[in-house]
Amino acid sequence: MTIWLLLHYKLPNKPSALRVYIWRKLKRLGAILLHEAVWILPDSPRTAEQIQWVTAEIQEMGGEAYSWRANTTLGQSDEYLTQQFNKQVDVVYSQLLKKLEKPRADLQEISRQYQEVAAQDFFHSKLGLQVREKLTSRRGEKS
Amino acid sequence: MKWVTWKNIGVDRMACIWLINRWIDPEAEFTFISVGEKSSPENGEPFDIPGERYSHHGGHCTFYALLEENKIHDLILARIAQMVDEADEIQEVTIEPAALGLDLICRGLRQISKDDFEALERGKLIYEALYAQLKLDSPE
Repeated sequence: MTIWLLLHYKLPNKPSALRVYIWRKLKRLGAILLHEAVWILPDSPRTAEQIQWVTAEIQEMGGEAYSWRANTTLGQSDEYLTQQFNKQVDVVYSQLLKKLEKPRADLQEISRQYQEVAAQDFFHSKLGLQVREKLTSRRGEKS
Repeated sequence: MKWVTWKNIGVDRMACIWLINRWIDPEAEFTFISVGEKSSPENGEPFDIPGERYSHHGGHCTFYALLEENKIHDLILARIAQMVDEADEIQEVTIEPAALGLDLICRGLRQISKDDFEALERGKLIYEALYAQLKLDSPE
């Protein structure tokens, strides 16, 4: 069973920059906003630490924030959520695979994008492994 | 002086402990309380506990807060602060690729140490080494 971290918060309407700032932070972390209501992430020492600091930062901005460690009561929703997280990274991985099919692919740029998306790949997507293998096999290529 | 933080130290707190020992309070004594526990004044100066003075503020790590509050101006330490920020906080600007490695090593160090006291001693060595190498590579 997967343990999840949930975050729910309220920020003042103005300035809107704060809301955008927090929203971007959570997106960058790879969190998913479920039903426009609750942010969700799989629990790990790293994600728990990040959520702890985002929670503290929202409170420091004058907002209210609560975070929980939780598990679902119905087993099936775990699978649904896991799929959502995989979908999120697979979209990017597919784009990278497509770029890697081109003969003169910018390997340096693709590597950078790979690193970014891999940091959000909480459930070890198979596509990620493919991108990694393609990248390592193409290094040193003189085309 | 006494200093207190939560158990299970990682990249930021290992850096803080090294900094406190070397630059702020050579006589520092450290205590570790349970994660989530509120620190009482007799435990000492709290650090890296949410809501405290020496904690994350405005997207910066506790190491950064220690430098700012103690007015320590050192280019190498500022660079280490950037690394710890990138390792421990979600950042838009990432310019220190060593940050992720540092985070992994510090986590692993805590895993292979029997307690936080052993981990802090080992952590100090990591930051001492990092500081020495960054200094060698710096332009002056």
